[in-house]
Amino acid sequence: MSSKADWTTFLEPVDPDSSDRLFFSPHEWDTVEALSARIIPTDHDPGAREARVVVFIDRYLSGINYIFAAADGSGFLRIDGHYATAWRSRIADMQRTYRDGLAQLDARCRSEWGEPFVSLDEDRQDRALELLSGAPKPGPVTLGTTEPASTFTQFLTDDGLGFFDALCLHVKQGFYADPVYGGNKGRLGWRVIGFEGPEKLKDTMDGTYSTDSLFVQDYSWADLIPQLKAQTTWALPT
Amino acid sequence: MAVQKKPDAVDVVIVGLGASGGTAAKVLSEAGLHVVGLERGPYLRHDEHFSGDELKFVNRSYMWPDAKLTPRTRRVDDDEVAQPYPFSMTPQLVGGGTNHWAGWVPRPRPSDFLQRSLHGDVDGMSLADWPFQYEHLEPYLTKIEWEFGVSGIAGADRGEGFRSRPFPSQPLPPTRWGRKFYSAANEMGINAFPIPHAMVTNEHKGRRPFNRTSFWNQYGDPSGARSNTATTFIPEALATGNFELRSDCFVREVKVGKDGRATGVVYVDQTGAEVEQDARVVVLSMGAIETARLMLLSQSALFPDGLANSSGLVGKNATFHEYLFAIGFFDNEIDDPLYGWTGNYISGGTMDFYETDESRGHMGGCIVSSSQTCHPINMVFPGRPAWGQAFKDADRTFFNYAMKIGLILHDMPQERNRVDLDPTHKDFMGLPVARITHRAHENDRAMGRWQVDKNIEILEVAGARKTIPVYLDQVTGNTCHQHGTARMGFDPETSVLNEWCQTHDIDNVFVVDGSAFPTSLGVNPTLAMMANAWRSCEYIVDNYLPGRVERLAAARA
Repeated sequence: MSSKADWTTFLEPVDPDSSDRLFFSPHEWDTVEALSARIIPTDHDPGAREARVVVFIDRYLSGINYIFAAADGSGFLRIDGHYATAWRSRIADMQRTYRDGLAQLDARCRSEWGEPFVSLDEDRQDRALELLSGAPKPGPVTLGTTEPASTFTQFLTDDGLGFFDALCLHVKQGFYADPVYGGNKGRLGWRVIGFEGPEKLKDTMDGTYSTDSLFVQDYSWADLIPQLKAQTTWALPT
Repeated sequence: MAVQKKPDAVDVVIVGLGASGGTAAKVLSEAGLHVVGLERGPYLRHDEHFSGDELKFVNRSYMWPDAKLTPRTRRVDDDEVAQPYPFSMTPQLVGGGTNHWAGWVPRPRPSDFLQRSLHGDVDGMSLADWPFQYEHLEPYLTKIEWEFGVSGIAGADRGEGFRSRPFPSQPLPPTRWGRKFYSAANEMGINAFPIPHAMVTNEHKGRRPFNRTSFWNQYGDPSGARSNTATTFIPEALATGNFELRSDCFVREVKVGKDGRATGVVYVDQTGAEVEQDARVVVLSMGAIETARLMLLSQSALFPDGLANSSGLVGKNATFHEYLFAIGFFDNEIDDPLYGWTGNYISGGTMDFYETDESRGHMGGCIVSSSQTCHPINMVFPGRPAWGQAFKDADRTFFNYAMKIGLILHDMPQERNRVDLDPTHKDFMGLPVARITHRAHENDRAMGRWQVDKNIEILEVAGARKTIPVYLDQVTGNTCHQHGTARMGFDPETSVLNEWCQTHDIDNVFVVDGSAFPTSLGVNPTLAMMANAWRSCEYIVDNYLPGRVERLAAARA
């Protein structure tokens, strides 16, 4: 078993235009693509369909080859040892969650409307997502209000999630993750929301990518911190 | 399993090479002692393994222990069955939590060391004074600031305790959301300043701090900007030639001899072989959860309830802090963008609400800092719509028009809040996992509510047009701050360690991480943990080991 420090890099960055299926059946692929298009719809900006979120999810569920990109984005890390065992078991669970979840979704759609999810019009697809989630379609976030929440953990894995919650999380990840994982094609997910992310992962390792210009350029500590004016001894380190 | 290897005995074996273990490695090996450091995780190379990959670092736990291999369980009350929960997980690799941290390193205040004297006996709490005071720690706070690298402006915090030296590095420029915080704070008469930051902005001690990517909190830093023991103290320890680092080694027991003293540790190495490493001194520094777990796992004829646990207090009085916050949204059609995702997590904070003010209806108080709203997948946005047009519209509208003002909740110790061994759940080695039992005190909730509401007020003065307060229900362990499970004190019946972090029961076992804290500080604990580790290791070098040698010589004569 090799240490995580010595995991080797293999494979290539995922091609977002690939139509090779590594996990989904053709029908599952089409269903997940249609679902993703209702979770992040296409409007005057591209949505999950154009970002190739389905490719991202298919690769994730295919096994443990596409879990961790190499730091420089040149390929993927070959997970080894206990971590490989843990990830195999995690992905096997998630494969079952998807396979069963998709089958149940279709069964529900057939019993309600006589057709599988992919054949429904968008309004019925949204209705099917409401049934799947057990909650109404989310309404718009509006200004002028205060909406309290409770504290939560910052440790954000998909362990233990059911089909609907996992799907929403994975669609979001496929829309916004670095393009090396197969989604966020051409960084279009980032462009939709105005995130000026790096062109390549490698650019985050050597100073090529910088957000310097988004910091405040003209400032004086003494203006920001009136306390300093009351001091005679403060001085910035040089 | 039988012991398969038994390397030569050393002066000191350190278990856990994070913030405090890294400090111990440096101080002990630079003093000429022969030291072995054992770390469960790998020794990653920052310039080779770290980059701005949100999915890998934030969602797929690349640097963290895998919850399937080393789970934890959690419950609120004793009559519940604890359930698996990633409570206060901390990165598992050389450098520990100094790899991923935002790096808030404010100094504690003199009041932090006197919580019982200041507040007396409070119902449900187990307050205790520290066995030393702020002024005893001050020289070591300064050593850490200079040796490890901390940026800040001396004199900017009007309530700071005595400081013997300014900072070695100046702060980053403010972010746009940070400037909003400064403006609102000034309008309200609040003393805003850059919270001291575990990073350098100049070429301190040969480091190249080129990382300005905004991939910071939870990411590894490929540059020399972040102060991380894996890139500072550990290489300095290795350079002495006296320190041997063994990564990917899982310590399962501290061994105790017939004379009641520790003989060393037993661990499983990367090849799966069981190894016994003898040492004259055992230093534990795995964090207050895993250190307590190892002590409770190390049962022997002389210590049937766990290592150095004659007081029965190992694992008890656990405190964890909690990160609470308030979000403010601005109007993308009227206001300027704030780029809440930019920066190095914190930009502008205050300690004006830190000391007890009885008119607020609770004791204690919090450190506050304006902080990043993070990257697209994990944008900090409670109530973010799960799907549909509302999701897309909300992200498009608010991603660049949000800011957040966070706080560290100063939770108070209660003896009932504890770490012990789970009766059913095991890790991949077959050892019982840590079980956390924790119920928030009413004072914790009241403090959180008051401060979150104050943060909302600041956001409103800053011009926020929608706010989201995030209050405390129960502690979820979302800060990685862990303290109290082997508290220091003078009395062996009411504490586990003495004022030098030496166990009362076993003179050659020292616990130098947050376990030693009798009360959680109101500030982020790492600066004080490292300073305390330095202070205790200096004691080992200057007093304990020399004295021991002399006493042995006398006894043998």
